[in-house]
Amino acid sequence: MSIIIDVASGGVRGGTSILYAATGETISERAGVINLGTEGSMLAGALAAYMVSSQTGNPWLGVAVGAFAGALISSVHAVLVVKRKANQFASGLAVLFLSLGLTSLFGSSYVGKTITPFTVWDVPLLSDIPWIGPILFQQDPLVYLSYLVVPLVWFVLFRTRAGLLVRTAGERSEALTVHGFSVQRVRMAAVIAGGVLAGVGGAHLSIAYTNSWFENMVAGRGFIAVALVIFASWSPLKVFGGAYLFGAALSLGPALQARGYEINQFALHVIPFVLTLTVLAALGRRTISAAPAELKRVFENAPPDP
Amino acid sequence: MSAPTDVMVAEPQAPDPAPAAPARDERWLRAGKLAVRWIAAILGAMIIFSVLVSFQGANPLEVFADMWVSTFQRPRSLTEIFIRMAPITLAALAVVLPARAGMMNVGGEGQVIVGAVGAAGVGLAFDQTLPGGLVMVLMAVGAIVAGAAWAGIAALLRLVFNVNEAVTTLLLNFVALDLLLFLIYQPWRESAAAQPSTREVAVAAQLPTLGSTGVTVGIIVAVAAVIVLGWALTRTRWGYRLGVVGGNPEAARRAAMPVTMLLLSALLVGGALAGLAGWIELSAVELKLRPGFGTQIGYIGFLASWLARHRPLPVLVASFVLAALSVAADSLQLDSGLPASTINILTALLLVAVLGWTTMKGKKT
Repeated sequence: MSIIIDVASGGVRGGTSILYAATGETISERAGVINLGTEGSMLAGALAAYMVSSQTGNPWLGVAVGAFAGALISSVHAVLVVKRKANQFASGLAVLFLSLGLTSLFGSSYVGKTITPFTVWDVPLLSDIPWIGPILFQQDPLVYLSYLVVPLVWFVLFRTRAGLLVRTAGERSEALTVHGFSVQRVRMAAVIAGGVLAGVGGAHLSIAYTNSWFENMVAGRGFIAVALVIFASWSPLKVFGGAYLFGAALSLGPALQARGYEINQFALHVIPFVLTLTVLAALGRRTISAAPAELKRVFENAPPDP
Repeated sequence: MSAPTDVMVAEPQAPDPAPAAPARDERWLRAGKLAVRWIAAILGAMIIFSVLVSFQGANPLEVFADMWVSTFQRPRSLTEIFIRMAPITLAALAVVLPARAGMMNVGGEGQVIVGAVGAAGVGLAFDQTLPGGLVMVLMAVGAIVAGAAWAGIAALLRLVFNVNEAVTTLLLNFVALDLLLFLIYQPWRESAAAQPSTREVAVAAQLPTLGSTGVTVGIIVAVAAVIVLGWALTRTRWGYRLGVVGGNPEAARRAAMPVTMLLLSALLVGGALAGLAGWIELSAVELKLRPGFGTQIGYIGFLASWLARHRPLPVLVASFVLAALSVAADSLQLDSGLPASTINILTALLLVAVLGWTTMKGKKT
């Protein structure tokens, strides 16, 4: 029995960085921009948070600076894609490489440094609930923050004027122009907001989850986040389930090994990827038809030759 | 830094879809403008890089000087560049071809890995019993089949289930990585005591070098692939049709072209080329599968294809530049004490410049 709780709570813990990043990516894609540089924003966020937390001993300050670093990286993508009309996939990868280089340059002296990480804080009363308590309410503060941030993003996207602007930029950008709004500005803002959340996700990874910094530590979680957004058909609330599923698959291997099961962890590690591919295939046309119209254009018009 | 200039010179010679070819001096003017842009882009990248490096207490001038010396002026440095260039070139062609048909192959990384897995599987099975030359060829075939099959999954998802190939190829990279790790942590592991890896393939099955140069025949394979692909894209009906599908799939469909088969062929051949890259990386460079095998060759190839704007001949220049940068990365680590991945900053800045400031023309807003 305890293994289920272990895997589930590990899924929440391990999935939180992906959850933040995928929620941010949802904002960006809702505005019609896919950002493979999410991986880069997470890296920058992870390192910045680690540096600040190590220097000041204040993990919250670390998260703030991590969010800023994530925004900074994503703003490069925003400028390239929105202002310069560069190809979104190519620009995203370029931005990822930029972040890989920057973080390895500035991070090398921080490998092995001690930091003040976030620690697990049991929510009074709620953490005593059987099953749910240990899974959801014996976590670190950034996990709790995500319980608020993700629904908030949903609310902003679907219930406020700002969200309407973002979604219109992704669905019918002409309509924005007609009403005197700048599509470019809305998209820039959406991409950068996505970078903020990806930065927070990276911060969770380095100062709450692994409590360490090493080169390329995000290891594909940013790419998972991008795929997850499609998997969740561009809804922040569905992103919850997807992120935790990924997290659970990642924590299943260690949980089994801790109980003495001989298992090749990579057979488990691959599950979320295969699952995502399967779901994408099963949903097929339906997923794509749920995509923001302008994003569909990005998918369909991968320009062959400029 | 003469290499990127070649891309610039190649630019105006590219086939121009505009009905009236620009007048001669106008072309020179355009080439001149482009040259200025390129020089500005490279200088800008170097200046930003210098500033960043000096933040870490390194002297940028010394860093550049060391990089230059160890990349171009040591006896084996050109050899090293050509060795690294071969898989990058092939991985770039794996992006070029689908891009021609309007598809985005972000899965070079996975296709390279799976190609190497295919080659290694064949090699490990036969290199003790069959003659080396035959094993070498069989390994190449194994890599081609494996790489094409891996891209074929994405093709299937795209053509049958209508899932975008950029997303699936990307996801398949991680599946490929897990497959590689799975194999070397257990079934194919040489010894449980040592680091997880396979054993090396037999010497007879490794790629031979060209005379006494130390350069392996991998570069010949890569250059041949560039030439054949360049020819096929411009001189064959298949290449022409790929271009039509990429430009306007609806028109291609109305012209009764076999669009599905064309898209399928572009992805499969692309995957096969990436598979070959994995074969060369395995049997000329790494000799065995290990964790971190062929790291980022696929992604670097993707960048090379974009630097070359998806044209086969410029791909050679772009992959030479990126291979040189990867050799320079070793110098960063050895001479300047900076992490090797720092070089990614230069690579990325170069690409940012190309994406943002040289590809505007001819683009619909």
